[in-house]
Amino acid sequence: MGALLSIKNVSKYFGGLAANKAISFDIEAGEIIGLIGPNGSGKTTLINVITGNDVADQGSIRFKGHEIVRLKPYIINRLGIARTYQVVQPFIGMSVRENVVAGVLFGRDGKGRKMGVAWERADEVLELCHMQDKRNEMVENLTIADIKRLEIAKAMATDPDLLLLDEGMAGLNPKEIDEALDLATRINKMGMTLLVVEHVMKAVMSISQRVVVLHQGRLMAIGTPEAIAKDEQVIKAYLGEKYSLRQKNRGEVKRL
Amino acid sequence: MVEKRKNILFFGILIFILILFPFVVTNYWIRLFTGIFMYGTLAQATNILMGFSGLVPFGNVVFFGIGAYFTGITMLNLGFPFFIALVFGASACFVFAFVVGHPVLKLKGHYFAIATMGISEAIKQISTNVKITRGGMGLNLPLVPFEVNTSYLFFYFLMFSAMILVTLVALWISRNRVGYALRAIMSNEDGAKSIGINTPHYKVLAWAISAFFTGLGGGIFAYWYGYIDPPSVFDIGISVRFIIMILLGGAGTIIGPLLGAFFIELLSETVWSQFLFIHLGVLGAIIVLVVIFMPRGFVWFYRQKFSLEALLENVRKGKL
Repeated sequence: MGALLSIKNVSKYFGGLAANKAISFDIEAGEIIGLIGPNGSGKTTLINVITGNDVADQGSIRFKGHEIVRLKPYIINRLGIARTYQVVQPFIGMSVRENVVAGVLFGRDGKGRKMGVAWERADEVLELCHMQDKRNEMVENLTIADIKRLEIAKAMATDPDLLLLDEGMAGLNPKEIDEALDLATRINKMGMTLLVVEHVMKAVMSISQRVVVLHQGRLMAIGTPEAIAKDEQVIKAYLGEKYSLRQKNRGEVKRL
Repeated sequence: MVEKRKNILFFGILIFILILFPFVVTNYWIRLFTGIFMYGTLAQATNILMGFSGLVPFGNVVFFGIGAYFTGITMLNLGFPFFIALVFGASACFVFAFVVGHPVLKLKGHYFAIATMGISEAIKQISTNVKITRGGMGLNLPLVPFEVNTSYLFFYFLMFSAMILVTLVALWISRNRVGYALRAIMSNEDGAKSIGINTPHYKVLAWAISAFFTGLGGGIFAYWYGYIDPPSVFDIGISVRFIIMILLGGAGTIIGPLLGAFFIELLSETVWSQFLFIHLGVLGAIIVLVVIFMPRGFVWFYRQKFSLEALLENVRKGKL
């Protein structure tokens, strides 16, 4: 069986700027794949191109063998790709439960669902995300950590096979980051494939099986977190001397 | 649950009173209330788009006119009985909104509002200049086959039923997938797309439903008044009036637009009878005051438990 999502030679230009340039890689079913890179390296653009919010200028993206470039975002979602946004996009004026039920009603197979069934599914998703005690809160009264969790719940409610998390941990404190990591791992164990864009390096390195590094719109490296942490090019471009030193020291400690 | 039962009881009694009402009052009051129900119908119809999805269709009066003209023309030229002509007129509005909606609803915010006004003016000019509407001469509809008192009751109950019908539809929409789609779109269109909502489809559908009931109101109006001409049924003032009603009552609520219709119509009637020469000025001043103190409408004020504190907070935020 082929890859779940296969990105081939994808480019996206904004005027003269190449936000994504000839990017190719595959995402296998069941894995957590990290997507990292400095600011402006094209991570969010790549997410937008996959979900149809932006249309790729060149290249092909195949999801379970179907070409999805040029499909509308809502159709891509119904095929089984859900996402969260870096700038959170909750539905203000609705309760947490109503936010999630909207995902259940309109996501994959949502069309024929009766309201009663949809409410039950929404409660299941809220329980999975440990939000059941906040289900009747209005969104505008939530903390940023809860809103980020709600974004994941909303996306999960659409019943995807592939979940794209765009900076789900930015602005969270260490305890909240641990909770978010726990949630991502649990979802993954249920069989969900995850593409995680993250700035919090500890987080992305600890949960990903493979890491993709973008730099100035190009794919710079792809490999296991350990290999990426040792890659000279990546260290120079992005991780910095400090991180590489720490990794080296850690290795030495182990050897002793 | 108790709250819900109390609500149903309250509205049941209210409907019962309004059913008995025309049998104990004079024709003046029956006519006044028929007008209130008409505006209630129009406001609720427009609320389905404006209240749930946040788009303001300033030119929605175009469907009032199209409904009125289709009803009139099919009765006169094709000899349709009134009720069939009425359904025909309302359906024509649905189809028209559906066709025009696909391009026009790509616009957002003010641009959509302006485009609907343009459509309204264009249709007004067309209906002034084509033969089938008899242009500026206007259209005389067939007379109602009842004696005077019965016809007063007939239109009272007809408008009343239209208002109840559109309110039930709005209530149903608000609790079902269409309602959730529209609220999601109003709050965050990008977020809505990303959870599988076909946003153009739901916006067009909401506009077409609102057009259907606006056209229904127009059709009944045409038969009620017996005479229509382009300036009176394509009057943008009608749009402004029911949009004010929606805002005053509370956009996006079910009872708000109806409250707004009752308030504005009763107020303008009282003001008009008390201050013949400056009634528009007095009416305007009252509307300004209400908007300053409760910009989110009566229903919001009710939910704040009529607290004076909340009223003053609005003024402070408005930085008067």
